[in-house]
Amino acid sequence: MRTRFLLAMFTLALAAPAAYADIILPDVNPKYVTIKEQNPERDAGYVVGDILDRTITLTIKKPYELVKESLPIEGFEHRYRGQISGIELVKINTEEHSHSDSVTHVLHLRYQVFTTGKLAKPAALRAEIIKLRNASNKTVLQYRIPSYSFRISPLSVFGSVKLKEEMSPFVRPLRLDASRDRLQLGIAIAILSLALLCLLYIFGMYAWLPKMGAPFAKAYRDIRKIPNTEQGLQNAVARLHSALNQTAGSVLFTSNLDEFLQKKPAFALLKQDIEKFFTLSGQVFFASSPTAHLAENPKAWLQKFCRHLRDCERGLVPHLAAKASH
Amino acid sequence: MSDTQLADWRNHALTLESEVNKVVVGQKNPVRLITTSIFARGHVLLEGDVGVGKTTLLRAFTRGIGGGYQRIEGTIDLMPNDLVYHTYLGEDGKPHVSAGPLLMSGENLSVFFFNEINRARPQVHSLLLRVMAERTLTAFNKEHYFPHMLVFADRNQVEKEETFDIPSAARDRFMMEIPIVVPSDAAIMESLVFDTRFHDVDALVANVPEDLLQFDQLNNFASTLQNSISASPTLRSYVLNLWRATKTPTEFGIKISGVDMNRLVLSGASPRGMGMVLRAARVNAWLNNRSAVLPEDIHEVFHATVAHRLVFSPVYEMRRTEIAREMLTGIINTIATP
Repeated sequence: MRTRFLLAMFTLALAAPAAYADIILPDVNPKYVTIKEQNPERDAGYVVGDILDRTITLTIKKPYELVKESLPIEGFEHRYRGQISGIELVKINTEEHSHSDSVTHVLHLRYQVFTTGKLAKPAALRAEIIKLRNASNKTVLQYRIPSYSFRISPLSVFGSVKLKEEMSPFVRPLRLDASRDRLQLGIAIAILSLALLCLLYIFGMYAWLPKMGAPFAKAYRDIRKIPNTEQGLQNAVARLHSALNQTAGSVLFTSNLDEFLQKKPAFALLKQDIEKFFTLSGQVFFASSPTAHLAENPKAWLQKFCRHLRDCERGLVPHLAAKASH
Repeated sequence: MSDTQLADWRNHALTLESEVNKVVVGQKNPVRLITTSIFARGHVLLEGDVGVGKTTLLRAFTRGIGGGYQRIEGTIDLMPNDLVYHTYLGEDGKPHVSAGPLLMSGENLSVFFFNEINRARPQVHSLLLRVMAERTLTAFNKEHYFPHMLVFADRNQVEKEETFDIPSAARDRFMMEIPIVVPSDAAIMESLVFDTRFHDVDALVANVPEDLLQFDQLNNFASTLQNSISASPTLRSYVLNLWRATKTPTEFGIKISGVDMNRLVLSGASPRGMGMVLRAARVNAWLNNRSAVLPEDIHEVFHATVAHRLVFSPVYEMRRTEIAREMLTGIINTIATP
């Protein structure tokens, strides 16, 4: 007798989880569960074989916890009034994030349509029922994830169809393939950007940075490349004359030097050096001036002088004691 | 000629300049240009308003140069022969002929001073053309030479009545046309009015020592001077560009507001004109103790030696002084050297 009783109790214990699943439990208080749905983008136009992805984010506050065994099972085919609905859960992935007073479960559900018809018909991703257990008193309650309704379309249309009458406000317009236009637009934008960049470069006097293309900055770069020969010295002096003329807006001579310095006081600091430069120029081109008293090689002096002019051009105070840098 | 002799002559020239500057105050630039012209052996035309000291300036220089000095006044009835001879009835009642201003000093004529030249007729200008260019004159079946002669002339542009414009060919014979303007310095203006020293011109000019220069050696020295002062290839190229710009200013981007540059210039500077520019520039370099011409030497003499040689369209002739000045300044400011 006693053995029979124990056997009956064991059988009941084994049968309990199955019975657990079918039993309709009371709903959990909504304040313990927060749900966030991410449903498929469109709700119509699905045909047999189409995949629908749905992501449910559940945040369950303590003391409740998710009974993981209650999650839907892959391959489960929902029935409605004994009829197979034709929507099958093909994949489920879960993520879990614990917090101090809650746990967030992210359910990635993938359904596939296995039904069709001659006419469009409604369908739904079923409302999943999950179970929550109260950790303190071990009571189990249920939570219903809302269903998602959509429409399944036939693979082909039978008979004549008046599109005007058949158009559904739920179906988004079909889009033309715009990839080619996107590519063309991309190329056009790239060319335009390049052209604007070139324009910027041109308007910036062929320089990327302010004052980089200014006369003395350019002259300094040129003079650095000129060889230290007799011809090179002539070229360097001529190059510097050109930069001075460009800055002055007219040809600069010693006779109009004061006028130039009044107009461009930034260069006043270099008046003596400019006069020395004209003396050097007279020596180089006219062979008449008394020897310019240069303490260093004329080419090196020219380079240093040009750098000082460039500093003035940039609004800096040249360091007159500085040596020419290469 | 040695450097010492060049320096000696320079001292003489600077002394002459200094003495003239004491007599004619506030005209340093014209005085420097006339000095330059004397040593470049070029004729000088002064231009300015009435009573600004043109005649005084030329008389002062004439005194310093030394040699034979002749003067004639330009009048509307002046004829070419008046420059060459005079006819008169002598005490014996017979007609006599005597040498005119040009012939009177013979070969020693160093300065021929033509006052108010624009009052003389074109026939007189024509005679002057030859005398200025060739320094010779045929008269009384004989060729007369004036190797040391410089023509100093003046004119005022205010009065147009009974005057004759000097043709461009005659203008071109003058090395320089120098504008004389009233000094703007208040102290000088005051002394010109209140200092009695300036009221008696004869006494004023007499303050310039006579014969500061040896007029009969000027030609030789000028020749030596021209050979002593060099002009580098860079400078030659620069001068040629200046010359081209006087002919075709538009090619060099020269612009003058309110002037159609394509129609402005009928004729630029002549080869003789540019030659004179170089002669004057060499003298300027010498006066500044240099042995070669610099662009600045060209600039010093450029306006005075070129402006009067430019021939403009008649529509712009009335404004020639202003336009020529602006154009030549534009040329100097535009053409780079090197």
